[in-house]
Amino acid sequence: MSTMLKFSRNKLVSVRKGEQDTLVVHGLLDDDIYGLELDIIFRISNLEIISIDGKWNRWTTPECKRSVQFLPEAVGLCAGKEGFAQEVHKIVGRKACRHYANLLIECGYSAQEAVIAIKYQAARVESPDLTLTEFLNDESQNEQEALSSHVVDRNAQVTEKHSARPNLSLTDIIAKKKSSGMLIDLHVHTSPASPCSSAPVDQIIEQAKRVGLDAICLTDHNYAWEPHRMDNLIRKHGFLVLRGNEITTNQGDVIVFGLDRDITGIIGLDDLRREVLAVGGFMIAAHPIRGFLVLGAEEIGLTPQKAMERPLFKSVDALEVLNGKVTEKENKFASRVALGLGLFATGGSDAHEVSEVGKYATRFFDSIKNEKDLVAALKTGNYSPVALR
Amino acid sequence: MPDLLIFSRNKSTSVEQLDDQTIKSTCRLQDTFTNGFIGIIVKLPELEIKEVTGKFSRTLHGKCLDLSEAFKKIVGVRIGPGMSKIIRGIADDATECRHFGCIVEECCHGVILSLTKDAMLLIPEGYELTEDDYKNLVKSNIRLYNRCAAFAPGSRIVEGVEPP
Repeated sequence: MSTMLKFSRNKLVSVRKGEQDTLVVHGLLDDDIYGLELDIIFRISNLEIISIDGKWNRWTTPECKRSVQFLPEAVGLCAGKEGFAQEVHKIVGRKACRHYANLLIECGYSAQEAVIAIKYQAARVESPDLTLTEFLNDESQNEQEALSSHVVDRNAQVTEKHSARPNLSLTDIIAKKKSSGMLIDLHVHTSPASPCSSAPVDQIIEQAKRVGLDAICLTDHNYAWEPHRMDNLIRKHGFLVLRGNEITTNQGDVIVFGLDRDITGIIGLDDLRREVLAVGGFMIAAHPIRGFLVLGAEEIGLTPQKAMERPLFKSVDALEVLNGKVTEKENKFASRVALGLGLFATGGSDAHEVSEVGKYATRFFDSIKNEKDLVAALKTGNYSPVALR
Repeated sequence: MPDLLIFSRNKSTSVEQLDDQTIKSTCRLQDTFTNGFIGIIVKLPELEIKEVTGKFSRTLHGKCLDLSEAFKKIVGVRIGPGMSKIIRGIADDATECRHFGCIVEECCHGVILSLTKDAMLLIPEGYELTEDDYKNLVKSNIRLYNRCAAFAPGSRIVEGVEPP
């Protein structure tokens, strides 16, 4: 049988030693759509990017070439450090171009391995019979020793800069809330708890007050806020702040309420469901329908009926049918799926920037004073998603 | 001393349409230390990964030689926004082979780009996309706004487009 390739992409990275303590790296990405190159100089000792330049060979939009001017913002990033790829995606991928980011990460990882090659060559000058396996075993032992002295507590990185106001009690604040229903943004991300957010929690809360919300839920990615920190925020701002958690499962993102555990890594959807049911919590499929940047869900032939078959929707209590990060069309699609499956529907901004808070929210017709009330209200279905702007 | 390379890497991804509903994407890696490939079978329109295969014959620390458990864990993941986080998370949990997650991701990007290419092929031959065409593309999917330099403020494409 003769068949043609539908698409192909080739990446080539070559590394040579430069002057003094440097590596000279050339990367080339060439596929059916894009063609681009990178020339990067890394410092060998810490794999820091000293200089970077890019060149387009083929592109899609007339403005793709603008991206080259932003590449120097990657200078200073270290390919040897944990989080290098995330930093590159954030800085180069978002500001310049995601294809440059892809190639830069490949170049960075190649530079890391080039350092291993250099060290091995150097070790063989002293011990000509040293095999690569023996050398790697020695190296990994040294790495283990170095690692044990650099344990980082993730929670310790997130510190609140201001202390709570001592003269306002929690009951006073909560008593101010309306008893006839509340407008709550159920989906908000803060910095630094969510690495993808640039919005400090204090600014988020002040914005929520400004736009007329009655409460917000902090749903940072795989991040369990400690209850006492929420109490402090409530006292400090005189505003109801509730805990949630946007947990990444193998089937997509799920907003969970009522679960206290800090979940790291990717959890299986079935495992999460079991845990949430055991504690009487509530699960919402976040942005359940998200298409690609150029192609929408429907362009690849997805119908609401077909989407209803997804395993994800069998293991959640509600769908987020108004999400601030997807298109209107995708939100409408999600509404049709929720309706078809008879699942409750919620709204949330999915704010990652201060200005995005409250774009969408959920109007509850019950009074909510705490997390327990919120979970109870969510289970009644006595609410509706609302667009505030 | 001759100016020799100390390291070189080739990574090649190819995508085939097996039938109307099935796409196969394979990524092959060959570099100074590693040689191997991973292939995924993806079903449309869900873009769900149905099967993962692959083999490494040469790898640093031997960490990529047995990936059978990792393959099983990737099955069922859907290709789409947010997939990188899921794939990397599963890969980090399932194997110490750093290439595994990167290569699976590369396969998935290949699938997305192949669908993008299909859409581009619908543009009539000889027709040059205008600035307005790009503006309309951003307007119809505002998620593109500020997504990269081409769609960021300062670019002619987003002039006059209301930010989200």
